[in-house]
Amino acid sequence: MNLSPRENWRIYLLIVLMLVSTVAVFVPLGGADTDGPTNLQYGLELSGGTRVRAPLVGMTAEVDTGNQNTRELAATVSNRLNVSRTDVNIRQVQNGQDTVEVFADADNGNVTQEEFAAALNAAGVEASTDDIRDGVTQQTRQTAVSVLSNKINSVGLSGGTVSTTTTPTGETFVLVEVPNANRSQVLDLITSRGRVELVAHFPQQRQNESDNGTRTVYRDVSLLTQEDFSTSNFQAQPADGGQPARVPVALKDEPARNFSNAMQTFGFTDEGISNCGYQPASGEDPDTFPGYCLYTVRDGEVVYGASMSPGLAETIRSGDFVKDPTFVITANNYSEAQQLAIDLQAGALPTTLDIQGEGTTYFLEASLANEFKLFSLITAIIAVFAVAGMVFLRYREPGVAAPMILTAGAEVFLLLGFASAVGLALDLSHIAGFIAVIGTGVDDLIIIADEILQSGEVNTSRVFESRFRKAFWVIGAAAATTIIAMSPLAVLSLGDLQGFAIVTIVGVLLGVLVTRPAYGDILRNLVLEDV
Amino acid sequence: MAEADAPGKLPFSLPDVDYERYTNRQLITIPLVVLVLALAVLAGFFVLTGSPVQPGLAFTGGTELQVTTTDTAAQIESTFESNGFDVESVQPIRSQENAFIVTFQSTDTDAIQTQAEGAGYDVNSIQGRSASFGAQSQSQALIGLVIAFGGMAALVFALFRTFIPSIAVVASAFSDIVIPLALMNIFGMELTLGTVAALLMLIGYSVDSDLLLNNHVLRRSGGFYESTYRAMRTGVTMTLTSIAAMTVMAITAFLFGIPLLPAVGTVLVFGLTADLMNTYMLNVTLLRYYKYEGVAR
Repeated sequence: MNLSPRENWRIYLLIVLMLVSTVAVFVPLGGADTDGPTNLQYGLELSGGTRVRAPLVGMTAEVDTGNQNTRELAATVSNRLNVSRTDVNIRQVQNGQDTVEVFADADNGNVTQEEFAAALNAAGVEASTDDIRDGVTQQTRQTAVSVLSNKINSVGLSGGTVSTTTTPTGETFVLVEVPNANRSQVLDLITSRGRVELVAHFPQQRQNESDNGTRTVYRDVSLLTQEDFSTSNFQAQPADGGQPARVPVALKDEPARNFSNAMQTFGFTDEGISNCGYQPASGEDPDTFPGYCLYTVRDGEVVYGASMSPGLAETIRSGDFVKDPTFVITANNYSEAQQLAIDLQAGALPTTLDIQGEGTTYFLEASLANEFKLFSLITAIIAVFAVAGMVFLRYREPGVAAPMILTAGAEVFLLLGFASAVGLALDLSHIAGFIAVIGTGVDDLIIIADEILQSGEVNTSRVFESRFRKAFWVIGAAAATTIIAMSPLAVLSLGDLQGFAIVTIVGVLLGVLVTRPAYGDILRNLVLEDV
Repeated sequence: MAEADAPGKLPFSLPDVDYERYTNRQLITIPLVVLVLALAVLAGFFVLTGSPVQPGLAFTGGTELQVTTTDTAAQIESTFESNGFDVESVQPIRSQENAFIVTFQSTDTDAIQTQAEGAGYDVNSIQGRSASFGAQSQSQALIGLVIAFGGMAALVFALFRTFIPSIAVVASAFSDIVIPLALMNIFGMELTLGTVAALLMLIGYSVDSDLLLNNHVLRRSGGFYESTYRAMRTGVTMTLTSIAAMTVMAITAFLFGIPLLPAVGTVLVFGLTADLMNTYMLNVTLLRYYKYEGVAR
């Protein structure tokens, strides 16, 4: 047998790549987060978990806001559209490049493009429906992605990923994947925006225009939101010693000064001390509730009403509060406090995900996923036996058929190595891709075998090379068509099919460049040995 | 090794085909009739349902859940129906006891999940797709198929640079996709992401044997019939091996209750079988016409 590396370099290359694959698949390398004896990672369909894919709700107008004050503009637009002030976001970049986003649309929040354009016009910004598109800006998406990942990480769901995918039609979806979590767990976490506010609620005397008498009205002023805290790690604390469940927070300098001033102006530090008896469970309207309350508001809903404590009032009056602005956000119970801590830690989502209207959700139980894993392995093995049977039946020559099966097997092994090396999470669609690769691989090996073994002696390397090259024309052309046929799927965001296409393309490339030529070399050794 | 090459024998003891006995018209009639029938099935489906194929959950939107329960299929259906959810189908899973796949057109996945859990069913898997997402996937799948097919056709024309041999490959690839689509309608299979993948795979698979045939006939020395015979010996082995693998895969995956793979396997078996006919009746005939009449002119 000829073992010269110069003539058999294709076989040696295959052996080297097989060794590299073995290392990639089996040798534990630090950092890889895997289960089982291999470094292979499995996607949701083979490991269980929840996947949610949905667009962010909103419309974006690309307009020229001139030199308008963004606060006033946002206030006008939100009033006209009857949406919350936080649902309008303005970015002034330069003339004509400014964006105004409203986080509502026809299906969510009942705002149409026409109404949005009219609201902008009323605010003195020239806009028509042509300037308005569905969807939010890139910056908003980035914020949403980082907030969502924070939320998932902060509840300790490991291995969760959040990303965006764009369809060729320009729609962008947010993709949330959390292994080993059930659907409602994930939906609870990501459907609410988690905007936490501290609102001051207090009485004020107003003069009646009719009879010059006075009446009491209640005002609500939003004082603090997520951005005003300097705490790096929010931790919920259970109720103890007369204190409700809470999240201790520290304020940034300027919000602290504003807060301190507001507390004194609104009367919280005098008559307002210990003057809030609001119970959310009582069903009373927090807007007209008598007293001085510091409401903890989550996504527009009052979750708790706290009183100003005498101690805090004292530090505010003395000015010590501004020097050391620590404070607590209060809640009814520990679990609410934990929710608040998560919201404070992760930040608020700029807008909601439209899961019901345009999204998809997928959940698979881990035990079922593990069955799929085992069963698809068995299926693949049985399919390989079917191929082996056919090949033996055709050639009746173990010397030709056995290397064929081994080469096809090597191709799949190299692909597994590739998957481990790049951290591709295997799903059912990838398994289908593996099968496609075995199929085209065996087809090509049959072409090579038939070409080389055709009638007429192969007695020199030159005859062999020429036949091999002829066989390769067909193989190369077939590989090129397969790659072209698969490439649209590799870029389209059809989700499941992307993995299938990528595996098939990589597999065909590995096959054409490495394994199938190596099979040719193996055959040559067998054929020339006979001479 | 010589016995595999004994002349005049197709692999797997298949009877030899004597092409010289048949005229071009005779040979081409069968694949063309089958293609026309397949197109007629698709057209008929289009007239009846407004879509040439039956789109599955991935393309229409809806909810699919897999539950484990001791209830029968009929009981499951009535549980959901009595609560106002229109059940589209309830299928038992063969490999697992008491497991069912229930599908709904409703996209209110939350309510369906609550309902299932309320009825004491163990929810193993659930997926919901909104209608508009489904519609978008559908147009994308179509775009994908068209681009893939167009790319393949362009490459084939670039490889052979002559009209008739190129169009022969493209025509049989077209037929290889249309026939499985029609068969899917006849057997009541829905178009899913898996079957779209299989159709794309067919573009790659079916072109293999056509390229091989064209290559042998056009680029090699030797007579037409000898070249055809050589190409056929290799090509038939290839296609039959793939059919065997896919049949086995489809049956095993079906028995195990693995999603996606049975549909992929079945569509590939349909397509590869169609490919045998198209390559060795349609493509061969067009090549023979080209070789004996097209070139002479």
